[in-house]
Amino acid sequence: MSQQDQVAGRVQQSIPVLITLGLGLWIAYESFTVEDPQPYLFPQLISIAMIGLSAAALFRAVRGANRTGAGIPVDLLLRIAPGIAVMLVYVLVLAPQLGFYTGSAVGFFTLYSLYDPNSHQSVRTWLTRITITAGFMLVIYLVFALALQVQTPRGLFL
Amino acid sequence: MEFLQHFGPVFTLTSMAILCGGTIGGLLLGATPGLSPTMAVALLIPFTFHMTPIHGLMLLGAAYTATVAGGAISAILLKIPGAPANIATALDGNAMAKKGEGARALQICFISSFIGGVLGILVLIFLTPVLAKWALGFGPSHLFWIAILGVTIIGSLDSKSVIKGLLAGAVGLWIAMIGYDSIQGVERFIFSEHLEGGVHIIAALIGLFAIPQIIEMLEGGRTNRQYEIVKVQPHSIVKAISETFSKMRAAVIGSVVGIIVGLIPGAGGQIAGLVSYDQARRFSPNRDKFGTGESEGVVAAETANNAMVGPSLVPLLTLSVPGSPTAAVLLGGLLIHGIFPGPNLFVEHADVAWAFINSLLIGQVLMLVFGLYIAGLAAHVVRIPPPILASGILVLSVFGAYSVQSSYSDVVVMLVLGLGMYFLSKYGFSPAPLVLGIILGPIAESNYVQGSIIAEAGDGLFSYFFTGTLNLFLITLVVASIVYSVVSEIRIRRLEPRPGVAS
Repeated sequence: MSQQDQVAGRVQQSIPVLITLGLGLWIAYESFTVEDPQPYLFPQLISIAMIGLSAAALFRAVRGANRTGAGIPVDLLLRIAPGIAVMLVYVLVLAPQLGFYTGSAVGFFTLYSLYDPNSHQSVRTWLTRITITAGFMLVIYLVFALALQVQTPRGLFL
Repeated sequence: MEFLQHFGPVFTLTSMAILCGGTIGGLLLGATPGLSPTMAVALLIPFTFHMTPIHGLMLLGAAYTATVAGGAISAILLKIPGAPANIATALDGNAMAKKGEGARALQICFISSFIGGVLGILVLIFLTPVLAKWALGFGPSHLFWIAILGVTIIGSLDSKSVIKGLLAGAVGLWIAMIGYDSIQGVERFIFSEHLEGGVHIIAALIGLFAIPQIIEMLEGGRTNRQYEIVKVQPHSIVKAISETFSKMRAAVIGSVVGIIVGLIPGAGGQIAGLVSYDQARRFSPNRDKFGTGESEGVVAAETANNAMVGPSLVPLLTLSVPGSPTAAVLLGGLLIHGIFPGPNLFVEHADVAWAFINSLLIGQVLMLVFGLYIAGLAAHVVRIPPPILASGILVLSVFGAYSVQSSYSDVVVMLVLGLGMYFLSKYGFSPAPLVLGIILGPIAESNYVQGSIIAEAGDGLFSYFFTGTLNLFLITLVVASIVYSVVSEIRIRRLEPRPGVAS
């Protein structure tokens, strides 16, 4: 491993513990500066534990002793980014705006098509994707709406 | 023999239909690579909302038992363990399948799972009431230390890094504090409108276990995953039964190891399977054949990982401390049905508790019957492409999180927690301690506050929480769990080659 890789590894390992350290400091600030400390007694304990553990983890990360977890290489990030984007759009926009069943059908179809290894040029592939999406959504509708009769998010459509 | 009086609710038509459905579904889910038993049970919880507590818990219990056993199908046919608990099964099971003995391996696997599973549940039946009776005398300080022990044990044993495991546990404890304080109703840490109702445990469970697995399925991008599934030749079940019973030494070793490991919170089925496999090899006259298709290896691994299921529920039902991540999810299932596990469970909800335990016993029989006949079908299920699985689980996750309280905020919280957990898992953080923190946070806090009030009226905080035989015993266990894991971590690190140094 080159020295540059080692430095990059240390920086990567430091990021999550810096976040937990910041979180611990914020919880400590919120818990120790209130007028009535009674509801914050337990959060006070947790904040102390978080700060102590984060500081220890940060010390190990900076020394290069923190070797658990390989981090996230850029190529992996590029592979999962479209999937995460679809998830976010589905949860934050499609399902609440279009309705659970319509939004889910669009979300399912998009995520499946994006990662399906079969050729995008083939008509048969698209027909298979549409059939699987429709079949899955039909089962979901039959189970949730008709059998269990549970409430689902409503939007413009079903 | 109180459990015998509660078999009635298990043998109704509805209960049997639920148990059969849960077992078949669990076997198929367990056989699917990428679907862990923990995630399968988490996704099933919302389906139990409309059921009675007994039926809901039966479904979850049957699914838990069957997913652990179902993981062996893909381990044997594909050499891809359906769950970490089935790693040891793949070693000899797949070698047998490659020799044309796939059906024999699967039959031996399910018979061994049945033996281990039944013995494990008998331990649950006979040990739980004794421990529960003993735990009835626990006060707030003891319950506080037990909750902390639950977090430290899973935090240190379930993670590769003790510090990160404990840190995840602390973050979980904090997440449990978000929302309104249960004693004074004071608003705490609400920095978004989606957090006004706090973080619901089911939304958190689904997010922390399902979302990271969905993203992991997408990690390969648009690559075509080709599985080499071994063809299953017919084999006599009677011969398989007699062969399994001829390997009684391996079955005994597997059952004993599984039961001991199951009773240790946080140890898990993976450790049970591997330790039992190793011990069975050591004591076997055929030890040289292990790894080349020796059925004794399958017997040892499968009795162990199923024998740990029952005992892993002992600390859950008696002390509210889950013995495994899946038990933690089951705890979530109990809580949403208004059942609070702990010393009073067998006093206040004896009917539900015993019916649940008895259904686990009947579930073992169903698992054996369906396992022997369904394994061939499961081989087709394991071939579902990851993009379809990922898309399907995503839709089920959104539904599951929403259906808890019909609140879209739960869906947003579920996704945010899940995405955060995926990135944290890449840096060595594990979801189990975080979940334990969220579940045990309210228990720890209420007992801490209650203890503080009692302490103020008595000899003070230090004297109340740090003196007394039981307090000191529990504190010793907390410290020992951390020290043991730190020492193990140091020992493993010394054995690892240093980066940049050629071995």
